[in-house]
Amino acid sequence: METLALQHYLAVGAILFGIGLIGFMCRRNLIVMFLCTELMFQGVAINLVAFGHFWGNFSGQAFTIFVLVIAAAEASLALGLVVLLFRQKNTLDADAWRELKG
Amino acid sequence: MPTTLFIPAAANAILNPLVVMVLCGFAGIATAMMLPGRREASWARVGGVVALAVGLIFSALLIRYTATVSPEGMGIYFWVFSAIAIISAVRVVTHPRPVYAALYFVLTVLASAGLFVLLWADFMAAALVIIYAGAILVTYVFVIMLASQAAPDAATIAGQADYDDVSRDPLVAAAIGFALMGMLLFVIFDKAEGVNRPVKPLNHKVYVQDGSDHPPLAPYDGTTQQLGQYLFNDQTINLELASLILTVSMVGAIVITRRRIVSTDFGDEFVETPEPETLHGPATPVNDNPHSIPVYGTQNPRAKAYPER
Repeated sequence: METLALQHYLAVGAILFGIGLIGFMCRRNLIVMFLCTELMFQGVAINLVAFGHFWGNFSGQAFTIFVLVIAAAEASLALGLVVLLFRQKNTLDADAWRELKG
Repeated sequence: MPTTLFIPAAANAILNPLVVMVLCGFAGIATAMMLPGRREASWARVGGVVALAVGLIFSALLIRYTATVSPEGMGIYFWVFSAIAIISAVRVVTHPRPVYAALYFVLTVLASAGLFVLLWADFMAAALVIIYAGAILVTYVFVIMLASQAAPDAATIAGQADYDDVSRDPLVAAAIGFALMGMLLFVIFDKAEGVNRPVKPLNHKVYVQDGSDHPPLAPYDGTTQQLGQYLFNDQTINLELASLILTVSMVGAIVITRRRIVSTDFGDEFVETPEPETLHGPATPVNDNPHSIPVYGTQNPRAKAYPER
């Protein structure tokens, strides 16, 4: 009955996470960088729901709901920060903040 | 010693991990070619063709394995949804215009909602579409449009900003990303036999607690009602914490983007360039005229948020 294994869904989640990571590292637009973070959230959410389904309980879906909550909070705060940074330098380039040292 | 361990594991695995590694390498090179940069457009096309070929080979290997395990019922919806999700995710990363990247992200969200439906998580699919495609993406598109209507001075002839056209270290980023992806796929296909427990989801039992020591068993149907019972019985504190996080982030977003007002002893008039440390004022504007609201963060209090044209 079950033709697709858990590995199929995990592979899709891993590929989405990797693509999001690449985008986060190499794009220079601040908004697109946070969009790639959301892409990584998508991969993790697919992994969690697939685990929950194949193990037959609701933990995966509950975790995914909390992932959505964190994603919403992160989006609001990050976009607020992006607007603030844009107001200061009038550009969305992440390299404009190169002088920040850790 | 490692080879004797490696070969039987590779023979039993769904996919040969070496094949997965090689495919990830090719996909990394292709993605690095597709990323926006100062190259000819034909490079991006070649990269797209290579990435598509790698994806087709990968899915063909997976489909061949699936066909050997169970010939009937190939799960065509899974392949369609995951192909849409992955291709549009690649376009999110490689598209030079941010608005189109956001729209491709909507496509990714919709495709993964389809995958959630295939996993009997219909409530999660609806929540994903409503929250992501409905709320978060609208916020993103708003901010993109607000930021790009200001016409940054680095814009090139095509109206594209330089930071959108040229990506930063595409080869290094693709190498790191696909190294991580190759390791993840290696673990998934080579070592993850134990996690794939053959559970029949429709017959599996979950506990529904009603306060007694021996909670009654309810069949796992994956329905929204059972998910709600699980959330409000077993995850109550986490749910309250989630609402607290949402409230705090809402307040934080308002506080972050609030403009700060210079208040002086001379009424609503601005003084000549106070020190940056003295830039403070009440939370409410001293003057409702939007042309008199200074920009927060600039050291010049005469820089107005809405300059008069």
